[in-house]
Amino acid sequence: MIDQILERENYVLAKKLLDVSHARHQALAGNLANAETPGYKRSDIKADFALELQKLASGNDIASISKFEAPVGVDLNSPSVRPDGNNVQLDSELLKMNQNSMQFEFLAQYASNSLNRIKTAITGQV
Amino acid sequence: MNILPGLESTSSALAAEKVRLDIIGQNIANAHTTRGLDGKPYARQMVSFESKLMEVGVKEDGSKIMTIGVQVKSIESDKTIGALVYNPTHPDADEKGYVRLPNVNLTHEMVDMIAASRSYEANLQVVRTAKQMAQQALRIGK
Repeated sequence: MIDQILERENYVLAKKLLDVSHARHQALAGNLANAETPGYKRSDIKADFALELQKLASGNDIASISKFEAPVGVDLNSPSVRPDGNNVQLDSELLKMNQNSMQFEFLAQYASNSLNRIKTAITGQV
Repeated sequence: MNILPGLESTSSALAAEKVRLDIIGQNIANAHTTRGLDGKPYARQMVSFESKLMEVGVKEDGSKIMTIGVQVKSIESDKTIGALVYNPTHPDADEKGYVRLPNVNLTHEMVDMIAASRSYEANLQVVRTAKQMAQQALRIGK
């Protein structure tokens, strides 16, 4: 019975997106570390990731969501602002990192509330 | 997966920026050194960075998870020739009375110093954010 709650689509999606947020922070950290390295191209979550996850979510196979790997790839579309080919922009990276951190907090809260709902159902107390 | 994401690449960046700041300090200190260690005027040192692959963890199937950090590739002397100043009473003046000064431009060094310190701050912000994320994750279920 608890499995039905833990296997609901939203909860599984929240777990997967927490992993993705974690991986994204790693990629953005690498970008900031290499902000001055000549010729470095920034990496980030691939642009088609959201569509892929939506396709999986609208399908019926919940287990495939948890098996889906967070794709981190090199972003060649970002314009190069320096003559040495480095396309990392400091402010842009920091903003993305803050946004990622907020998303992580939201997802952690959501997962936490889902688990607390189960506790409420068991104990009868909010 | 580790509890604090991004730590390896950030620590490599902090170390590299420290080296860069060290060299900038050395350049500024020797901005007027007319006789360096080899007898010639001090030559400005330049730091160049390169990326390096660092292993962060191992996946279930055995393949390694890598992240891209940074390391100092080399510390080289700047071969530009410094300015010549006419000062015949200087102990290092040549036969014509000219003294060759080091090729250190204080303005360039100050700008480099600001860039290095901003980069250092940005990397510290990464660590702070990672710590926040880890603390939020630990609060799940509470």
